[in-house]
Amino acid sequence: MALTITCPICGKRNGYEFKFGGEEKGPRPDEKDLTPTAWCEYVHMNKCVAGVQEEWWFHKDGCGSWFKIHRDTTTNLEMEVPKVKHPAAKIGGGKSDEQA
Amino acid sequence: MKEIQRVSPVGFKSTPLKTIKRDNWEVVMEYSGEGDGPWLVDLSHRPRFDLQDSNLEAFTPFGLTIPKVPGDCVLENGVLVNRMNGTQVSIYNLEAQDISMPDESGYTDVTESTICIALIGKETFSICEKLTALDFKDPQKKPPFLFQGPFSHVPCQIVTLSKEGDKSGLVLTCSRGYGRDMIHSIQDAGVEFNLNPAGETRFTNWIRIGSKIS
Repeated sequence: MALTITCPICGKRNGYEFKFGGEEKGPRPDEKDLTPTAWCEYVHMNKCVAGVQEEWWFHKDGCGSWFKIHRDTTTNLEMEVPKVKHPAAKIGGGKSDEQA
Repeated sequence: MKEIQRVSPVGFKSTPLKTIKRDNWEVVMEYSGEGDGPWLVDLSHRPRFDLQDSNLEAFTPFGLTIPKVPGDCVLENGVLVNRMNGTQVSIYNLEAQDISMPDESGYTDVTESTICIALIGKETFSICEKLTALDFKDPQKKPPFLFQGPFSHVPCQIVTLSKEGDKSGLVLTCSRGYGRDMIHSIQDAGVEFNLNPAGETRFTNWIRIGSKIS
């Protein structure tokens, strides 16, 4: 099935109306004490997740909005916003909410 | 002093029966063989403005209140105000006379940079269906409402003014450079529905009736 994307203004539309804007990488790093290496990593390095990732899209053929969606890169389908996993899952390797 | 010549990028092969000169535009009021509809009308000479500001609530263009929700429109006294997103509004003067751009900052005159055409009459949406995937007959949308999306693969603003059978109609704008090809594709799609070019008078009469029923 072709990719469809839900624009916050125009609603669900054909993916060809949009331009990919890259992975969501969090806020721009503070320029104070920013090393070239750290900046290079922020700009160029990607996680390339095989699964659900948060990413930016631009509605170029529509309203011109920039917005974020979650997309499963293995199926190329837009996903609902995933549930927030329990912090312990990241830190201690414990079970997430979904696993529990 | 020489006068400028303002030329619409939209051209029809039909023979004009009545033309007038208005603001240096050559406006066709009536074409020969307009038929019973549907009709395609060139409105590129009608003034259009964009308004951009972070506080749109402070503006009342031509005395109209700007809709709060993107996609909603207001049509009053021949002026159409379309909310595009959080910071932008497009304004079409479809019928009102003697309107000039407000002096406030934030307005841009886009009359010369875009084309504006109206598709009105029966089978309007049958023609659109051949050119775009946009759902003009969405029962949840009440006219007038704005779509921003591809029409014949060209990014357009399309305002549906009426969904009522033979009184159906919409107004479409897109970049001026697409004018000739946009007309070509719409006319080609409309051949099986007997689509004909019509003059401004046809649209003016339609919108006066259409605004009451939509």
